[in-house]
Amino acid sequence: MKQIQMTKTTSFSLINTKKIIQLNDIWTSYDSKNFALEGINMSIDRGANYAIVGQSGSGKSTLLKLMNGMMIPSKGTIKIDYVTPNIKDKKFKKMMHTIGYIPQSLGLIKNSTVLENVLIGALPRLSTIQSMLKKFPENEVQEAKKIIKQVGLEGKEDRKAYMLSGGEKRRVAIARAFMQKPTILLADEIVSELDHVTAREIMDLIADAQKRLNLTAIMVHHDMQLALEYANRVAVIKEGQKILEIGVEGDTIVDFQTGDMTTDQIMEMYKDEPKK
Amino acid sequence: MNPKNNLIIGILIALLVAASYNVGADPIEFVEGLPNLGIVVEEMLLVEPKYIPTALWAMFETIQMAFIGTIVGVAIALPLSMFAARNLNSKWVYAPIRALLAAIRTFPSILWAILFVIMVGLGPFAGVLAIIMYTIGFVAKLQYESIETIDADPMDAVSSIGVSKWQLIRYVVIPESASHLLSQMLYMFDYNVRQTSILGLVGAGGIGFYIINYIKFFEYGKAAVFMLVVLVVVLIIDWFSVKIRDKYIIKSQHGMEVTAKNNS
Repeated sequence: MKQIQMTKTTSFSLINTKKIIQLNDIWTSYDSKNFALEGINMSIDRGANYAIVGQSGSGKSTLLKLMNGMMIPSKGTIKIDYVTPNIKDKKFKKMMHTIGYIPQSLGLIKNSTVLENVLIGALPRLSTIQSMLKKFPENEVQEAKKIIKQVGLEGKEDRKAYMLSGGEKRRVAIARAFMQKPTILLADEIVSELDHVTAREIMDLIADAQKRLNLTAIMVHHDMQLALEYANRVAVIKEGQKILEIGVEGDTIVDFQTGDMTTDQIMEMYKDEPKK
Repeated sequence: MNPKNNLIIGILIALLVAASYNVGADPIEFVEGLPNLGIVVEEMLLVEPKYIPTALWAMFETIQMAFIGTIVGVAIALPLSMFAARNLNSKWVYAPIRALLAAIRTFPSILWAILFVIMVGLGPFAGVLAIIMYTIGFVAKLQYESIETIDADPMDAVSSIGVSKWQLIRYVVIPESASHLLSQMLYMFDYNVRQTSILGLVGAGGIGFYIINYIKFFEYGKAAVFMLVVLVVVLIIDWFSVKIRDKYIIKSQHGMEVTAKNNS
């Protein structure tokens, strides 16, 4: 009996340099009766392109908020590079700049320009005096301009955020996250409101940067098709539970874990899902 | 109209009549007093134009007092409002600051003026101090309320980068609430000019000082000239602030509306 317990513990090793994010039996609740997440286990490889797919209210956005410390689970443990995410924890606060988080609403400053919005990503590297005087070092400004060019917004640096189109706003949010020089990128339904062409442009942009910078990307999607196309691992969340996790290589599913649904059934489930 | 509404209206009318009787508010006396207005107008027409430069100069002093009061008041109110906003501070910080601001607002500016006349003596400086206090109480309240209505999304997105609280204020709170601030400053200046015009009644400088003195010596005509200057200048300031608001503030709010449509 003791032996089995030992193996159980060692099989869930936290000292695993390959795994960057580990979620172990995560439960969260908004009130005492209803659980948003029910016993989620997840482990994400460094450099992976991980997609979380689920319908509205399935708990997928909650997962991202747990990973960036904005929420804490009511039960279970999360480790990001061996640190428990919690925005109030000093140790985690020091590593928050390495996690780029793009909420569904994007969270841009409407009355600030594209350049000002992107430079916000550099704030953790600035001293208090520099940031209060808005004195960004020249190399940071150059870096921001370079990233703005990479995301395809060259020439729009001085445009106010509220004047931009939906696709352009997403590019600004991505640029702000890249400006953080992150190792992890969390993106919540970043393309779900865009047309097909723009959605793929944005996804290509992230996929390209992800390979170039060896980013670990965790992206929440509505659209199973898009997830299968870009991710190398896809987790399906339904009513707060992970019902399926698959590994994808090209057109082939290489790994199939848990759950009692086939991919066809899942595809069927999301086919008629109306766009928000 | 239902019986319940009729009852409420009936009670209101009864209270109105009772209160009017108690304070001696008699409409007949008002009508009988109307011809007296003619005497004031007559006296006004007899006033020599030589008083107008004095009146304008006194008004200029009043405007300067209101200007200093507004700028200094807003400068003090802004940091206070940051500490009074519930979404930026713990209860231990915002509750005492809010209590202090509420206490400041309890006194009308004329009572502050009396207090400062006792402290620093008669003259415009006491008036300036009174306007500063009044501005702090009101602008800080308006400002912390507008900070509390800032969209939570940019706040969450930027705090998840791991920025300090001061960086959050500098890069999210101030830009997001700036358009409200300009409008509040204009409103406050407008209001302070009117307030400063009466502070002279207690000896705190400005055009009110002349008005109260003429009234004391029954020179209603001269007092009326000064009042007329107040009226005209306040109307001009009002017109200018509407123009500025149209030009800068409405535009940016329109921009925000367009953004909201794109987002939905």
